[in-house]
Amino acid sequence: MNDVEPIRLEQVSAGYGRRMVLEGLDLRLEQGTITAIVGPNGSGKSTVIRAMSRLLAARSGVVFLDGRDIRNFGSRDIARLVSVLPQSPSSPPGLTVRELVELGRFPHTGLFGRHGAEGKLAVESALTLTGLSGFAERPLDELSGGERQRAWIALALAQGANTLLLDEPTTFLDVRHQFEVLDLVASLCASGDMTVVLVLHDLLHAANYADRVVVVDSGRIVADGAPSAVLTVELMRTVFGVSAKIFTNPESGRMVCLPIGPDRS
Amino acid sequence: MTSARSFVALVVVAGMAAVVLFILHLGLGTVWIPPDRVIGALVDGLADPTDRTIVWDLRMPRAILGLLVGCMLGLSGALLQVVMRNRLAEPGLTGVSTGGILAAVLFLGGVWGLPQPGRLLPFVVLVGALAGGILVLLVSSKRGGIDPLRLILTAVIVNAILGSLTAIVMLRSNYALGNILSWLIGSLHGRVWDDVWLALPWAAVAIPAGLLAARAANVLQIDDESGRALGLPLQPARVALFGLAGVLAAGAVTVSGAIPFVGLMAPNAARAVAGADARRVLPLAAMIGCLLLLAADLVAQSFSIKPPIPSSAYRVGLPVGAVMAILGAPLLIFLIRRSTR
Repeated sequence: MNDVEPIRLEQVSAGYGRRMVLEGLDLRLEQGTITAIVGPNGSGKSTVIRAMSRLLAARSGVVFLDGRDIRNFGSRDIARLVSVLPQSPSSPPGLTVRELVELGRFPHTGLFGRHGAEGKLAVESALTLTGLSGFAERPLDELSGGERQRAWIALALAQGANTLLLDEPTTFLDVRHQFEVLDLVASLCASGDMTVVLVLHDLLHAANYADRVVVVDSGRIVADGAPSAVLTVELMRTVFGVSAKIFTNPESGRMVCLPIGPDRS
Repeated sequence: MTSARSFVALVVVAGMAAVVLFILHLGLGTVWIPPDRVIGALVDGLADPTDRTIVWDLRMPRAILGLLVGCMLGLSGALLQVVMRNRLAEPGLTGVSTGGILAAVLFLGGVWGLPQPGRLLPFVVLVGALAGGILVLLVSSKRGGIDPLRLILTAVIVNAILGSLTAIVMLRSNYALGNILSWLIGSLHGRVWDDVWLALPWAAVAIPAGLLAARAANVLQIDDESGRALGLPLQPARVALFGLAGVLAAGAVTVSGAIPFVGLMAPNAARAVAGADARRVLPLAAMIGCLLLLAADLVAQSFSIKPPIPSSAYRVGLPVGAVMAILGAPLLIFLIRRSTR
């Protein structure tokens, strides 16, 4: 394992206008792991991702990227190290999967450079990894929601960054496609090179796929650790306001967190 | 939607069509010169000297300007549709047409009352056009940024104001009304080599620059957050592309006045045949723009009218701006119906 962590937040505060969303956040990503960020609506989950990639500049505190202050990076330098997939990405009608994925090379080619052999290879392997080689010439708007989401992940992969930040990648997908996308993410991580952060609403997925769960509430980290240590009945009550049952899946050994209704205690 | 091979085929076909239209255009006029004699006059120094004079001295400038203006308007519209995130955007929304025309009207309307306005006019129009574009940009930017929707709304408002100023100035003076009218409608009538030498360097810089913006345009076409995540500074990129669109349109309006519709139609036609990738849309929009303009000018030249101006004794061809929409609209409607569900 590398001794320099891909991203580290140190006492980071960030917000929009006068509203502060994150207050003094400390968070250190481990290379080659999947971290799930969970929390109620408006807790600041997406803002954590935006601060990590400097899509939103920290008001105070420091974000370290590969051990260096992120403020010292150019925008394209950041994009070569960190890929971000926002919550609801959109592409113009008629754009094909390949054309979208080729955009992932922008941080490398810039405005006027040419796609070299390396770039072509990166695009092809992103298409292959996401199982989209057969769809490459199809317009995005003709694909299913799951295929479209995979195309956006392929764009992020073509960037060639080792850190992937995905903001609610499963939100608009049916349950089978949710698994499909998360399995894809897990397989990317399996090699140990890729570090992934997932913002998730579904705690079942968080428990199933993440090595580590970070719970954010009102702009602060209220719990952080292995899923089994973090997702407790008590936490479900205090943070999400629901009563829940926690089981262990006898087959996977993974835990299952089942919310059963609003907390009435 | 289109593979690389069929894109090359499209470009080749469009290029050949442009050559055919160009030759027909050189042949058409008061005296019809058939294509074989036009080609002879072009390539053979020993061809009929009358043909050579007509082709080279009288008709070539107009044909070249038609080519350049069509290219610039098509490309300008394509860039603007990206910046404004709207397929209804057209070069006039940069503010350069209304700006250029207001300048022309002030100038020709005798506010400065020069005896020989002809030579200076293009420069006056150019300055007015650029001023109009800068005005739209200034009014629409807020904390250094431009938002696509705010940009469209501001452009419409600025255009309306400049348009009413033009109307007021025109009402105050009827001097050279016919001349002003041809700027309002857009015309290539009576253009000479001097006009080419003015437009050519402009186009030679602006067209390649516009085509080189394809990659930035592609990033601007996806949502803002994804675009920024790829490392493109969105606001400077939008301002730059708007500037390019304005410079291209200003070049066109300086030469020909405000020819409508071609800058709306060419990019939409390009998208209908080649999909969304700006690396294809931009060059195709430029080529389709030049085809449309040459075709429309051919038609315009075939009809002549006696202008309702007391000073005018002869019949002149229709201004190209007057036939552009009538000619282009059916094709555009066909393409759009085919490419949308």
